[in-house]
Amino acid sequence: MKEIYLGVDVGSVSTNIVAMDSNKNIVDTLYIRTKGKPIEALKMAFMQIKDRLQRDIEVLGVGTTGSGRHLAAIMLGADIVKNEITAHGVAALNIVPDVKTIIEIGGQDSKIILLRDGIVYDFAMNTVCAAGTGSFLDRQAERLGIPIEEFGTLALKSKSPVRIAGRCAVFAESDMIHKQQLGHNQEDIINGLCEAMARNYLNNLGKGKEIKPPVIFQGGVAANIGIKRAFEKILGCNIIVPKYANVMGAIGACLLAKDEVANTGKTKFLGLDIADSSFNVKSFECERCPNMCEVVEFYRDKKLVARWGDKCGSWGNIQVTQDNEKLA
Amino acid sequence: MPIKVGIPRALLFYEYFRLWISFFENLGAEVVVSEKTNKEIIDNGVKSTVDEACLPVKIFHGHVLNLKDKVDYIFIPRLTSVNKYEYICPKFCGLPEMIKYSLKDVQNIIDTNIDFRKSKKNLNKTIIEIGRYITRDVNEIKKAFKNALEQHNEYHSLMKKGLLPIDILENNYIEQLNEEVKVVLLGHPYNIYDSYSSMNIIKKLRGYKLSVITCDALNRNVINQNAETLDKKMFWSFGRKILGTALYAMEDNEVCGIIYLSSFGCGLDSVIADIVERRIRRSSNKPFTLLTIDEHTGEAGIDTRIEAFVDMIRWREKNENNLSTHRKFIYPN
Repeated sequence: MKEIYLGVDVGSVSTNIVAMDSNKNIVDTLYIRTKGKPIEALKMAFMQIKDRLQRDIEVLGVGTTGSGRHLAAIMLGADIVKNEITAHGVAALNIVPDVKTIIEIGGQDSKIILLRDGIVYDFAMNTVCAAGTGSFLDRQAERLGIPIEEFGTLALKSKSPVRIAGRCAVFAESDMIHKQQLGHNQEDIINGLCEAMARNYLNNLGKGKEIKPPVIFQGGVAANIGIKRAFEKILGCNIIVPKYANVMGAIGACLLAKDEVANTGKTKFLGLDIADSSFNVKSFECERCPNMCEVVEFYRDKKLVARWGDKCGSWGNIQVTQDNEKLA
Repeated sequence: MPIKVGIPRALLFYEYFRLWISFFENLGAEVVVSEKTNKEIIDNGVKSTVDEACLPVKIFHGHVLNLKDKVDYIFIPRLTSVNKYEYICPKFCGLPEMIKYSLKDVQNIIDTNIDFRKSKKNLNKTIIEIGRYITRDVNEIKKAFKNALEQHNEYHSLMKKGLLPIDILENNYIEQLNEEVKVVLLGHPYNIYDSYSSMNIIKKLRGYKLSVITCDALNRNVINQNAETLDKKMFWSFGRKILGTALYAMEDNEVCGIIYLSSFGCGLDSVIADIVERRIRRSSNKPFTLLTIDEHTGEAGIDTRIEAFVDMIRWREKNENNLSTHRKFIYPN
């Protein structure tokens, strides 16, 4: 019987699971697209991981992170629920203990995390605008009819630079279209876009920050070698892309879960069989006050297990189990 | 029947509500304050305001709509300047017009000009002009103002003790005033104190066992002294307060982190937040984060940032504690 810890990162674009043994060796990783349906995606992911890990394992702890971390925590019975910044920091420190800068670009978020002496020292996240994140790259790849996986290698083939506006996704797209109509090469345009993204990232998130090596680049976009090269060009230093760059959040969640369970002694995990459970969500607009909160009810196997979304707490705080009996 | 005066619970309400409410009440008027900001108020405000306005101005419109059928007059002064050679955001100068043209059926507005840019000489004239809506008796108006000003000063002295408007408005004088770890929350009062649009940031921070300090807890002299160190006079009253507080917080050992809450598209914040961030990065190592609010109601973004910020503060704290014991071990005296 193999003892493992699970880390789950439910993001806007991808849902990732990492299984790690007690010695922090990674046993298995899984990266699937969330496609706007986090519950289905997580269920699907658990079905796959259950098949792959077979039966001879025991889950000692589970951690969740990502924008869907609270939802995932309720579905799975997580031991720890952590924000992405802490999770990414913990994961990077585990791989490169003296890391000083983490560049993380995901689906909707981009972050810069500065570390000094092995602790998170400063961070910044993109504000309300998602320009220069993975979902924008996805869209451009689709528009150009190129698989996103080939995007980076194409950029490396570029011979002459083409400048693309990077501050805003809408400006970038119209700039790209103009340059296409002028007859520029596709490789050059893609390379221009990669450079624009790196430039925009450093102007926006890196403002006033001291970016020191070692620099780690992680998150889904780290798979794009074109952007890695653009960062190296601007920063003038080597950039480390770890082997499991696209699931680093989940690795962090795993490590945090391991620590947490070491304290609590026992996991709250509901078991791998949750892949076979049915999950339903109902939502309604509460009419008790003018706030009209959008309350969400979460059902596991037709049993109400959680409610959230209200500001006053009168729905969320109700003992759902009691309420459940009443409903039944 | 007393005259009913409506005061929107928005914009500078949190700064001046004691003054305004007591003044009108002392004159015998009945004061109606709009409800707390809620979804309906924001929706109505957003629907009826010019598109380019910032969220706080849109919320203000919603509060005016919330009052319009309940009162005889709505108090929307044209706030231009409250201190010598200082200004308030230009949107405040045009606020009465914005309301009149966007909300056609709101007409009875007390829109007296408040402008003390050159001196406070016309203070009496200003308060008499406002008081005239309620009574003709000039002496009574002066008396009402004097008393209201005392109340206002009392309110601000409570805030100097560390209470926040939410504590005072909710009569909750004992809530967590002295947690060991202190964070400074910067921003315009209408952003940080409106619990709906700020997504309840103060309660969230207090939930993490942090003491929340705002500009209002600092002495005016301290703020001014710090603001004087800038290369050029900051002529926005609130910008000056924010900057003075930020410069003070940078140096204060008890402050563990600085958070700036800004509303999307704010012209003043685009300048002030940038100066604050650059200053902090240049000459202090305190954690700083800028949070932006707008119409969105999804709280995941702000929650993630707050959680990570608090994690960082705690992590640093733990590390510093470890470090000092470590050093003791290396250099035993």
